[in-house]
Amino acid sequence: MKILLQQIITGISIGSIYALIASGYALVYSLLDFSNWAHGEVCMLGAYVCFMATQVDAIPFWLACVIGIGGAAVISFLNERVAYRRIRNNGSPNMFLMIAAMGLSTTYQNLANVIWKSKFKQLPKLFKVGTININGIFIGKTDLLCLVLSAIALVILLLLINKTKFGLHVRAVACSSRTAGLLGIKIDRVIAMVFLLAGALAGLAGITYGMKYNIYPTMGNVGLKAFIASVIGGLGSVPGAIAGAVLLGLIETVVSGYISSGLRDLISFCLLIVILLVRPSGLFGVDVQEKA
Amino acid sequence: MAQELLKVEHLSAAYGGIHALYDISLKVDAGEIVAVLGANGAGKSTLLKCLSSEKKAAGGTITFDGKPLPAKPYQVVEEGMVIVPEGRQIFYKLSVKENLKIGCCLRKDADGIRKDFERVYAMFPRLKERENQYGGLLSGGEQQMLAIARGLMARPKLLMLDEPSLGLAPIIVNQIMDILKEVNQDGTAILLIEQNARKALKLCDRAYLVNVGNIVAEGAGADLLADEKLMQAYLGQ
Repeated sequence: MKILLQQIITGISIGSIYALIASGYALVYSLLDFSNWAHGEVCMLGAYVCFMATQVDAIPFWLACVIGIGGAAVISFLNERVAYRRIRNNGSPNMFLMIAAMGLSTTYQNLANVIWKSKFKQLPKLFKVGTININGIFIGKTDLLCLVLSAIALVILLLLINKTKFGLHVRAVACSSRTAGLLGIKIDRVIAMVFLLAGALAGLAGITYGMKYNIYPTMGNVGLKAFIASVIGGLGSVPGAIAGAVLLGLIETVVSGYISSGLRDLISFCLLIVILLVRPSGLFGVDVQEKA
Repeated sequence: MAQELLKVEHLSAAYGGIHALYDISLKVDAGEIVAVLGANGAGKSTLLKCLSSEKKAAGGTITFDGKPLPAKPYQVVEEGMVIVPEGRQIFYKLSVKENLKIGCCLRKDADGIRKDFERVYAMFPRLKERENQYGGLLSGGEQQMLAIARGLMARPKLLMLDEPSLGLAPIIVNQIMDILKEVNQDGTAILLIEQNARKALKLCDRAYLVNVGNIVAEGAGADLLADEKLMQAYLGQ
């Protein structure tokens, strides 16, 4: 029982990292109807930017994290500004956006390989590999930190989307970008802001992932897991993406803990296929016909 | 002479190489209701797309309030020219109130916005009753009212409506026409694009008849209504 509880907390912790990335997928999908495959690489680059900042003695770790998050936000913004916006505005089909995103993804992965080599890098551990002992349940301090940071970020995101004027504009564009534009919403600005926001969340995810594990050029593949999570939750739904991510995190840790960690990814991807077959709109999804 | 608000001169527009509008000239004066009539495929919606800067014209000029039409749709709204799009285009996942808030998204005058909320709620009590419901849950007639109210929230000088009677019961169409009259009496000029020619002609001051991209007739609403040959030839009624 205690082991199961420990597993659950670890699961939620990794799930919260997926959630940071998955909500970015969902946001972009809800506005532009395409899966931003370069999103995982934004997460990876954020982690590397943070790592580079930690190499400078004058920069304290918290500041390095902020720089990493900011760096990821800027890269995500530039992806939109340089690549996606042109494709959107020259009347190409959405498929082109996805292909451009795949191209960016591969480019970034290889660039990272060239710049930082494929050796693992580590962010400084904030705590010595420590655990907190609550009635015999051991919880990793880093796990707990990831969980808390992600939860704060996600709550802020949900408040932003549901309670602010900016959030209202995002939801209107998601509903119908054409009508929103005709009524005076500055669509390009809303989209740019969403890419900044999604990038910042991905940057935070990359840094927390780096604190938990390592930093390496292909770590952006964690974005694939986040993508599965956002499909489970329903493409385009932010709350769905968060729920799907936590669920996926739980399933993965339980599978690794009780069956075999070798089967973990296999089961995740099987889950993706099953969801697509059985409930393609996902847990929170709506209007599959319209958007998929 | 009334002040000229919208002036379209020799406008042409094309999709690919195919002309949808050819040498269209029309104008709307301040305080006027002007109807543009024509059957399906006559080019009415293309005209509105050009007027809202959603589509670039192939030739000709559009002047609004003495200035050339700006290039971006939101700038057109800023200038005071707002469209109520065809098929209403309610944000079905936003509440009625949020739909109205999008209508005034470019305005900064909090007081004026509050007053306009009161104004449209007085005009459309149904919307007040349902302000916290999703727009998608409203009936067709209510959605059309919401679309008009949303347009009014921008405080337009010119409100352009694309087929507001589409798919609505005759009694609702009459209500909509009455409301447009009321809006016009408050000083807003109206450009009404319609297939429902009789209703539109009764309401409007002047009308243009469009056929396959050309203006074939123009005149006062009552005159066109009286011209049976014209009505039969182009509108089939």
